[in-house]
Amino acid sequence: MAAMSTPLSVRLEALLMPRAVGFLGQVLLAGLALLRGRGRFRARDLARVLADAGARALPIITVVNLLVGAIFAFVGAVQLVKFGAGIFVADLVAISVSREMAAVITAVVMAGRTGASFAAELATMQTNEEVDALEVLGLDAVDYLVLPRVIALVSMMPLLYIYACFMGLLGGMAVGTGMLDLAHTAYLDRSFDALTWAHVGLGLSKSLVFGMLIAMTGCYSGLYAQRNAAGVGSATTKAVVAGIVGVIVLDSGFAICANALGL
Amino acid sequence: MAALLEVRDLRMQFGERLIQADISFKVEPRTIFAIMGGSGCGKSTLLRHMIGLLSPKSGQVLYDGVDYWSADDATQANLRSRVGMLFQSAALWSSMTLTENVCLPLEQLTQQDEAQRLARAQQVLEWVGLGSFGGFYPADISGGMKKRAGIARAIAAEPPILFLDEPSAGLDPISSKRLDDLILEVRDRTGAAVIFVSHELPSLLAIADDGIFLDADSKKPIAHGSPRELRDHAEHPTVRAFLRREEPPAPSQPGKNP
Repeated sequence: MAAMSTPLSVRLEALLMPRAVGFLGQVLLAGLALLRGRGRFRARDLARVLADAGARALPIITVVNLLVGAIFAFVGAVQLVKFGAGIFVADLVAISVSREMAAVITAVVMAGRTGASFAAELATMQTNEEVDALEVLGLDAVDYLVLPRVIALVSMMPLLYIYACFMGLLGGMAVGTGMLDLAHTAYLDRSFDALTWAHVGLGLSKSLVFGMLIAMTGCYSGLYAQRNAAGVGSATTKAVVAGIVGVIVLDSGFAICANALGL
Repeated sequence: MAALLEVRDLRMQFGERLIQADISFKVEPRTIFAIMGGSGCGKSTLLRHMIGLLSPKSGQVLYDGVDYWSADDATQANLRSRVGMLFQSAALWSSMTLTENVCLPLEQLTQQDEAQRLARAQQVLEWVGLGSFGGFYPADISGGMKKRAGIARAIAAEPPILFLDEPSAGLDPISSKRLDDLILEVRDRTGAAVIFVSHELPSLLAIADDGIFLDADSKKPIAHGSPRELRDHAEHPTVRAFLRREEPPAPSQPGKNP
């Protein structure tokens, strides 16, 4: 009933999300200005976000991807051994990790970690009037605060993806060699035979797009948060939920496109 | 000759909700101008309309006769460069040291090189009594020190107009008095006009030369003048009561005999 009483213009506005589209356009324009040498953020801020989204994320990326690789190997081993095809565990892990799991799991972890951190940081700055103080100086929040975060995450995600692939393969190898008594060299040979540039290229493309999505949802949620403590919490929640759901939705889009392209 | 700052028939509104209307006043150089009124009457909102963070429903904000809200982007940027602002929460950038906080406006608004900027930052920080705190982050200093650092940042580029939003809110009486003295010193040293929002009576009465009183009930200004004059001679009982710290007059009740 509440929805019925909402004016059509308000419902249309909610559906089309003009503010979100405007934000996307602003980020793209800021990116273009940067390419023309008109970047307005501090290199030091970019370095700080790069370190936070890169090196400091490695421990959690290591643990999660090692375990995901191991879980896939476990599940595969139980089934494949029944058919005497235990060695194909290496194929299963290599393909699933490089095509899907390394990119998706890393993105989910980064949405919960870095996306939330972006949202909380910008929402707190909004609450403390720090964003207003920038605007009074003529510094645009998108140029100064959002762009370095987007650049940092888009640059770091492919590197994290490659690292996550290695960790997934290691986790799978630990189970394959430990549980199925496969030789390390045999396992690695099968893994690298199974890996193709198409799998890795697909995973890399996903990681780039996921990085962009997580950075944008985090920054958007933070920048348009309500100016109070509850607003900071709500922005963080929105960033994580939108980030994770967005990653899954985009991944399904990638799956459909890859299938259509025969990748 | 046009006033340094003039607000003309300003109407502030969020959607259908009227905040204040019919606001008009002028501020001349070296004036300390107070925006007074009870909590929630729209004082800080008026300040945000004057510095370009919120656009008015109607009316003008003129800097040296140029209307900010009808100017093009370049003119607006130029007019903004003439303004220094201390926010209610000081709004120091938390990822920067105090020196970096002071240097950023200089980087944006002046042609100074890095050495000049650092020298100027040190100078203004010393002036506000924070000379040895340049390497500190905002999280490492007290509320009063944040306000002083905020003033240092606001005056670094020597703007002719300084806006202060509740500068002494949340400070103890001694820190508040020191901040009032600092505001007077800033005015005397730089010749800037200071427009400040406050409902701290001691500050209002001690430093303001002129001012306007916004009324939350009628949603328009009900008095104009220096707080001291208004305290003693204001015609409106609400203004007198506010500035004398007395109980406000009871609202008239229709249908009831006086």
